[in-house]
Amino acid sequence: MNKKIISIFFLLIIMVSMVFAYSYFTQPTTEEKPYDYSIDSINDKDISDEIDDLLIDENYEVEIGEMV
Amino acid sequence: MRKIYSLLIMLILLISTTSIVLGDAGEDKGNHYGKDDDFESDDDVDDKTEKEIEIVNNSFGAEIRLLQLEKALLKNILKGDMVVQVLIGLNFTTTELKSILTEMKALLEEVKAANASSNESVEIFISLKNESKNFTTQFRKTIRELLNDISLSELRVRIKEMLNASGQLDDYNKRIINLIRTFNGNQLYRLYSLIGEANSPFVNEYLNGTLPLNETKLQLFKIINEKTKEKKYEIFLEIKGENIRRQIHAQDAIENMGNGHGKQ
Repeated sequence: MNKKIISIFFLLIIMVSMVFAYSYFTQPTTEEKPYDYSIDSINDKDISDEIDDLLIDENYEVEIGEMV
Repeated sequence: MRKIYSLLIMLILLISTTSIVLGDAGEDKGNHYGKDDDFESDDDVDDKTEKEIEIVNNSFGAEIRLLQLEKALLKNILKGDMVVQVLIGLNFTTTELKSILTEMKALLEEVKAANASSNESVEIFISLKNESKNFTTQFRKTIRELLNDISLSELRVRIKEMLNASGQLDDYNKRIINLIRTFNGNQLYRLYSLIGEANSPFVNEYLNGTLPLNETKLQLFKIINEKTKEKKYEIFLEIKGENIRRQIHAQDAIENMGNGHGKQ
């Protein structure tokens, strides 16, 4: 009798753990990493990336797919 | 015995909860994969298009994107015409392909006539681009019903060679590069003024085509690096601000189209 109760209880614990583990690993990441734009946090790469973003690439092509 | 029953009921409840959770996740995936990715409605916007429309907030940027779209559409029409010629030579029925090409040619005229200065230039660009993509997909699907994979890959190579030899897109390439250089030139003038180097020769060299864009960026970066930490920060914030303004404008435009339902 006690053995049955214990095994069902363990099964219950396993199920609860599974549900929690599943929901933990599948929850969407809604919190965005806050940006740090303080004067000390800016490096050369940040400046270079922003310059790249500001200017248009001369070889860029609008893609609408291939015909064949 | 009662204890066992209550534990069993709890177990059943938990299994039900788990299946609901798993079912929801499965449904999400099902929606994703079940979605018809081939055809897009007028206001569908993918990430690339969202990036493209960031510069459509001014008529100059809109002109560039519309001309790039015009070139892409013309390129596909030329390829389509070549495909039809090849297929006629091989005694295939090309009625459906010709009909798609006729619609693409009508769309090309619409792209040419599109007003880059319009307040709705973003919507116009997105709608025309999606129509172009849909016709292209339609053409590709039709031709896949006619030819096998080996013939298609041979045809692809042949069409590419024919298109390169024709040089019909050279004029577009020149016009697009000139527009982009002027656009970038304006941005560079503004930046050099901010840096306090308004008379820098690099912008003119870039505009003349004697200094490639990568070199121009490098020169600009070197000049910025020579400035004080505070000045560098000021320049960074100015560029970052402009980039963020563009992104916000693009997102606003997408949200205004069908109350944001357009984003894929």
